[in-house]
Amino acid sequence: MSQYEKAELKKLVDGGLEWSRVQEIMKAPKDGDRFQKWVALRQDEVSWKERILLPLTLKLFIVEKGAERIVKCECGHEFGDYRVNWKIEANIFVRDSEDGLNEVYRGREQPDTTWQQIREYYCPGCDSQLEVEAVPRGCPPDFNLLPDLDTFYRDWLGTPLADEKEFTDKTQEVIDTWNRD
Amino acid sequence: MSAGSAAEVLRSPLKERVAENERLFKQTGSLFGLTEMKRKAQDPGQYEAVWHILLNGMNAAWDVGCKVSASPVAAEGGDAVWNLHLPTGESVCSSKGIVSHPGLLSQLIRSYIENDYEVNPGFRPGDIWENNDPHFGGIHSVDFQTMIPIFFEGELICWASSVSHVMDGGMILPGSIGFMNPDSFADGVPVVMERIGEDDRIYPWYEKRIQCRTRVPDWVMGDARGRIAGCFTVRDKVLTLVAKYGVQYMKDVMHEYIEDSRRYAVVRMKTQSVPGRIRKANFKDLAMKGKRVIKPEQDIDCYMNVPMEVTVDKDARITFNMQGASGWVPFGENITPPAVISAMMNGYSHMVGFDMFNWGAVAAWEIETPPDGSWANPYPVNYFASSGVAWAPAIIWLSSLYETLGRLFYARGFIEEVAAGGATTMTGEFAGINQQGVYVAGMTLEQACNGSPARGMSDGENSAWSIYTPNADFGNAEVSELYYPIMYLGRNLEPDSGGFGKFRGGLGHTLVWMIMNTPGVEYSCGDAGIRSKILGNHGMFGAYPSVPDRPSWAAGTNMKQLIEEQKPLVHERGDPENPTLVTNIEAEVIDTKVIAPFVTPRQLKDYDLVVHPVSGAQALGDPIDRNPADVKRDLDNSWTRERVAREVNGVIADYDAKSRKWTVDGTKTEARRAEIRAARRARGVPFKKWWAQERKRIQARENMDEAVVTMWRQSMALSPKYGAELRGFWKLDEDFVF
Repeated sequence: MSQYEKAELKKLVDGGLEWSRVQEIMKAPKDGDRFQKWVALRQDEVSWKERILLPLTLKLFIVEKGAERIVKCECGHEFGDYRVNWKIEANIFVRDSEDGLNEVYRGREQPDTTWQQIREYYCPGCDSQLEVEAVPRGCPPDFNLLPDLDTFYRDWLGTPLADEKEFTDKTQEVIDTWNRD
Repeated sequence: MSAGSAAEVLRSPLKERVAENERLFKQTGSLFGLTEMKRKAQDPGQYEAVWHILLNGMNAAWDVGCKVSASPVAAEGGDAVWNLHLPTGESVCSSKGIVSHPGLLSQLIRSYIENDYEVNPGFRPGDIWENNDPHFGGIHSVDFQTMIPIFFEGELICWASSVSHVMDGGMILPGSIGFMNPDSFADGVPVVMERIGEDDRIYPWYEKRIQCRTRVPDWVMGDARGRIAGCFTVRDKVLTLVAKYGVQYMKDVMHEYIEDSRRYAVVRMKTQSVPGRIRKANFKDLAMKGKRVIKPEQDIDCYMNVPMEVTVDKDARITFNMQGASGWVPFGENITPPAVISAMMNGYSHMVGFDMFNWGAVAAWEIETPPDGSWANPYPVNYFASSGVAWAPAIIWLSSLYETLGRLFYARGFIEEVAAGGATTMTGEFAGINQQGVYVAGMTLEQACNGSPARGMSDGENSAWSIYTPNADFGNAEVSELYYPIMYLGRNLEPDSGGFGKFRGGLGHTLVWMIMNTPGVEYSCGDAGIRSKILGNHGMFGAYPSVPDRPSWAAGTNMKQLIEEQKPLVHERGDPENPTLVTNIEAEVIDTKVIAPFVTPRQLKDYDLVVHPVSGAQALGDPIDRNPADVKRDLDNSWTRERVAREVNGVIADYDAKSRKWTVDGTKTEARRAEIRAARRARGVPFKKWWAQERKRIQARENMDEAVVTMWRQSMALSPKYGAELRGFWKLDEDFVF
């Protein structure tokens, strides 16, 4: 099994590793301690102290906050329970007209806006564009990744987490509290 | 005859073995009950060596088969595959080439067994079997599946098989991409699980059928001989190995290679991913209203819901479901569940199970049967639905696989394995008289060379990837010019075709073809998995999706005059708002953003033009996080435009005409990016606020094309749970229907 220095992995993550070396890493048997080093690397990059349980995207993490597990942005903005789709706590902007699309797509590049809207999800803390969706009106936002964290830590890594949570999608529970108007 | 002796007569040892294999897998969790890998343990070196000899044998078959073949796609593009199977069908080892087929070939052999072909008419040495019918294990009629049983001392020990994509399958319109076929009766010449030869020779009536029911019979028969020649190569290689290592050893290792592949796929998921649920909505347009179609009921626009939900359980077993898939369509874009399995086997081999590519990976996952009557399972409702180009929806569905599994690899830290979403497959076909006075119908090779998806730490590669074959290759332009009455005026990387993100997808390329030396030819811009009216729902982690597939064409041009006067011609696509086709030529008809697929409404003549783009792949990350040095490189190479650099990536750069290089202004770039962030802050609204307004627009069907409404209606009816979830999210009444 391969082993890589944290410094080399950082270079890989930052995009600074030579392509020939990246190919060697891709072809070699994978390194068993990658996850631990990966989390440590990402933990070094953020200014806050909560323990990262799982990096979700380039900017978002599931972190341990007291007995809770929440989604948190690199900038420190907190979205809430990781079992609720974070998108419903984000800011959103929708491009659904030729003018709206012009900033990104021009002329022959533009989709038909009666068929599709472009949704941009921004972090309310740092205005990073966290995800983009190109879907027809009516499509609920994708809950891109709902990890089974306790199975992962307990059964796959052998290091169970405290305060086990039920593996379930709680997004609808939040929606149910919203008024229709 | 007694009942007992009747049972004896009808006994099918292979059928019994299939049942026994299933029982053993259920009982032990290992394929064929192989809880121990005895041959591997005894001598791992020999085990590995024999695998590589087999692999080389398959690739030798590919070389031989493609050389014997006649059509440009097989002979020049290598668009074919050869495979080795257990007697019960499971794929053991595959050549390079179109590796989306071994799963189907495996299921076709299973289909022979389940239909008692072992009893009647029986399998014999020297037999040649063939199928191209989706009802029995095919995908679409132009993918001919040929196989031979391999016997040793009277015992069937394995099968050799092959698929090649022929240039004309006798479908209702010329060519091989039957997107326009209204039903299976239009799907071309059927070969339905037939023995097409014996004693290693093709029956004469098979040749006659090809001769009278396909438009380019010499190519189609040449390809048939290519498939068979490759199968004979496989047989020679296997029998040589049997002679060297013994038949029992070969039988044992062929089983172990499959179980090994299953174990590899499971372990890879467990050590490199995360358990949980991943969801990816995706959609595909098929806008045909107002175009040339075959039947009146095809004068419609279709919108296909192509959803993917992936669940990884505690044992790293993966389940895919397609809840929400919309209804079958009156075109060739329907696929069967067995073909979906084979497509997934191909996609899975890209992302997970690529060490020993064979049937083993299929045992590591499960696809829930798609909703009855959906595009992915049409026969329960419409047995005669067309699968003229069944790959079309599968390609779009599989493009989600890269992103869904990519998110898992990213979470675990294996960012080099992340792939942000696949490119599409738009084909260019010509039918008519070529420069030698010969009627031709068939495909160019260009679509087999897309950009590759962005990774977790780098851009994708340009024109170096294909979803259906690991050896992406668009072939030599000169060879396509030999077959078809076209002249290449351009073959260029297309700027900004890989989405917009911190890391962009690899770029696609654009062809400019001028029609030459023909009394008339049709251009068919085919849908083998495209989006034209819409963008893909892609772009991981904040990137924008790649642009839609939109070809251009011009007829009745002044090209001859421009050439004589040595004026600028058309060599590239040009600016999205001001294409070169418009700026440089005059013509009776110029259409620069056609919604594909389509067939030209008139025959093209000499000096007419086609501009055909082949797509790039998907991007990853917020575009304003893109390294300005990468933007400069793209500007210097003409891989992006200044407007995109400025408006989308927030990079301000100046061009020096003398050095022909760009210089990034760091201060202005920082200011521009701050400006973009401020604009986001100003226009972004809390989701909850938007949700309250959006649900009213949904109820009012505001700005929703009829095709969108129809799609939602079908999806919610075919998958009631999906419908309930959609209603729940928008808080629509329980009886709400679109």
